[in-house]
Amino acid sequence: MSRPQKEHSDWGTSYGEMVAKEFFKSRLCRVSLAVIIFLFAVAVLAPFLANDKPLVIRIDGALRFPIVGNLKAADYSIFLAATLGMTMLFLIRRNHRCIEPSIRGQVLWRQIYISSTILLIGIVLLFIFVPKRLDATNYKALVANGEATDAVFAPIPYGYERTDLGVREQPPNKKHWLGTDDVGSDVLCRLIHGSRISLSVGFVAVGISSIIGVMVGAVLGYFGGKVDFIGMRFVEIMMAIPVFFLIITIVAFFPRSLLNIMIIIGITTWTGNARFIRAEFLKLRNEDFVQAAKVFGLPLRSILFRHMLPNAVAPVLVNATFGIAGAIFVEAALSFLGFGVAPPAPSWGQMLSLGIGTTGRFLWWLSLFPGLAIFFTVMAYNLVGEGLRDAIDPRLRKAA
Amino acid sequence: MIPTLLGITIMVFAISRIAPGDPVALSMGPGGQMDAERAADVREARMKLYGLDRPVPIQYAKWLWRVVRFDFGDSIKHHRPVTELIAERLPITLTLNLLAFVIIYTVSLPLGVLAAVRHQKLFDRLSSVILFMLWALPSMWVGQMLIGYFCGPTFMNWFPPAGLSSNNADALPFFSWLADRLWHLALPVLCLTYAGFAYLTKQVRAGMLDNLRADYVRTARAKGLANWQVVFYHAFRNSVIPVITIMATLLPAMFGGSVIIESIFSIPGMGRLAFEAVTTRDYNVVMAVATIAGVLNLAGLLLADIAYAVADPRISFEATIE
Repeated sequence: MSRPQKEHSDWGTSYGEMVAKEFFKSRLCRVSLAVIIFLFAVAVLAPFLANDKPLVIRIDGALRFPIVGNLKAADYSIFLAATLGMTMLFLIRRNHRCIEPSIRGQVLWRQIYISSTILLIGIVLLFIFVPKRLDATNYKALVANGEATDAVFAPIPYGYERTDLGVREQPPNKKHWLGTDDVGSDVLCRLIHGSRISLSVGFVAVGISSIIGVMVGAVLGYFGGKVDFIGMRFVEIMMAIPVFFLIITIVAFFPRSLLNIMIIIGITTWTGNARFIRAEFLKLRNEDFVQAAKVFGLPLRSILFRHMLPNAVAPVLVNATFGIAGAIFVEAALSFLGFGVAPPAPSWGQMLSLGIGTTGRFLWWLSLFPGLAIFFTVMAYNLVGEGLRDAIDPRLRKAA
Repeated sequence: MIPTLLGITIMVFAISRIAPGDPVALSMGPGGQMDAERAADVREARMKLYGLDRPVPIQYAKWLWRVVRFDFGDSIKHHRPVTELIAERLPITLTLNLLAFVIIYTVSLPLGVLAAVRHQKLFDRLSSVILFMLWALPSMWVGQMLIGYFCGPTFMNWFPPAGLSSNNADALPFFSWLADRLWHLALPVLCLTYAGFAYLTKQVRAGMLDNLRADYVRTARAKGLANWQVVFYHAFRNSVIPVITIMATLLPAMFGGSVIIESIFSIPGMGRLAFEAVTTRDYNVVMAVATIAGVLNLAGLLLADIAYAVADPRISFEATIE
């Protein structure tokens, strides 16, 4: 791309810049965004933060890197997604600096398209080519025996699946900073790895619900009439059954896995978005630019998603932020009730459910810390959602 | 209304049919000592017994016909008609939710009005922050912490951790019985209400702020009316109307919440029934509970619509129904 690299003050401030500026004005918003970034960092770097294998170890004179050697396809996929996400953020900033406003949207869509294609292909390739490994070597014993030297362990040297019945149900102490659970796993370690489940459920579920909601809403709003009438009745039926009942009804009939939970939350929560987009498109479809696009003979896909959607996308983003908070909460609730992922997987809700032990004893550290984790995550997303909404809504901007 | 009702039943039925897994195989249990031919015979008999040999629309029609007569079949776990189970448990959930509902409205209305009147003052800011935090508190966590700290031998032993009444409650005179019941309900109701406070208070405050800025309030003030008269007779009455519609969004959330709360506090209501049914894969119960929750929710919506029409003279009921 050979575009001028100098600053263009005459381009004026774009809508996005205005919203961002407004958003970053509030200290609360900055703090909660920082909390979310921190959670992301923890989730991405989880294997390096909490692992029972050492980062570096010397066995028989040869240096080895057991953590890197034991990364799974899922770990690499998360790294890939994180890298692409950061690249996108960088590109968005760069676009604003050196691409004309009129074609900026087009460029952005192309970039999103390319990076999501890379992500999808990358994940498929990773799952095909990264071998499934099971390294059961007890490195700590090797170090203790003196067979290995120069070992550098992760800050929290415990694995989230490693059980140690000798230390079960211990309150916080020097070795286990946040205590241990009913099978002797380290709580802090499981919290760190649990952040991955929470965040991925949040994102995937909301991704699914946003895509369905936007598509259904766009079609209903654009066509109106009979399509709209029938579609809205369907949406009403979906809304008539309380969401949590609907979710557990589906959970009862379908096998329980992380992917299923994401899909279930996604397909039960899209109605809000659909209603909103529909209302917006009903207004937009009589606008001149939409009529012009129609007269041009553009394909429907282009009219709906290239020309109309950008005018209604901001509130969808706000909804998505609240949706992530909601999805994290629902996943925690499902896991708490025992309908979530199976136990060795570290879900915050499942950890929380161990707080009242089998003997009825209250294990406060198993209740307090996962609960706080859920609370702060949900709160941070809610605050960011609030902040975004206030930044987007010009009516509120004037009032404040 | 009727199409929506039909839609709910279609959806519940569809979920049960789309799901993988074979109910006949499930009912026959894991591998026994049976030769293939006999197994096939038994299978066919079972298919016939459950009506699974008929086409799906006919299966649905038969199921619907039974549902209309309140016959949801038998519970696999309890070996009793599902309708009986639900009739026992529905009043408990309704009591719990109604109690929570009344408390939410009695606390939130004054709180929201006060926050709006004291806009941007200390009270407004403090209450906003606290309510916002309450909103983000996961109810299962709060419930568990309450049980852990207030109902157990570990810390304070103030409240009963489970159930609806003490063992000897039936023998007690009415007022002691009521006190006992309230004592048991205090914590679960608290768990059900706090998130509602946050939501409703926010809405009341926003509505009041809008109305307090309106021209007619300025007129009222210019007439020389006292502040409380302006707030209550002018601004408040207009702010109440949208609050009624919020009932419609609050209801489903509370129904959902009662699944969690009833499981934590072992209250034998609809929520706990749903929880147990899902755990034991008691499909008849699951389908019945989902259908009834949908119907109840619909009734709530209807009630909200009627209340809306009653509260706001500008809206006529005929117009909304067409």
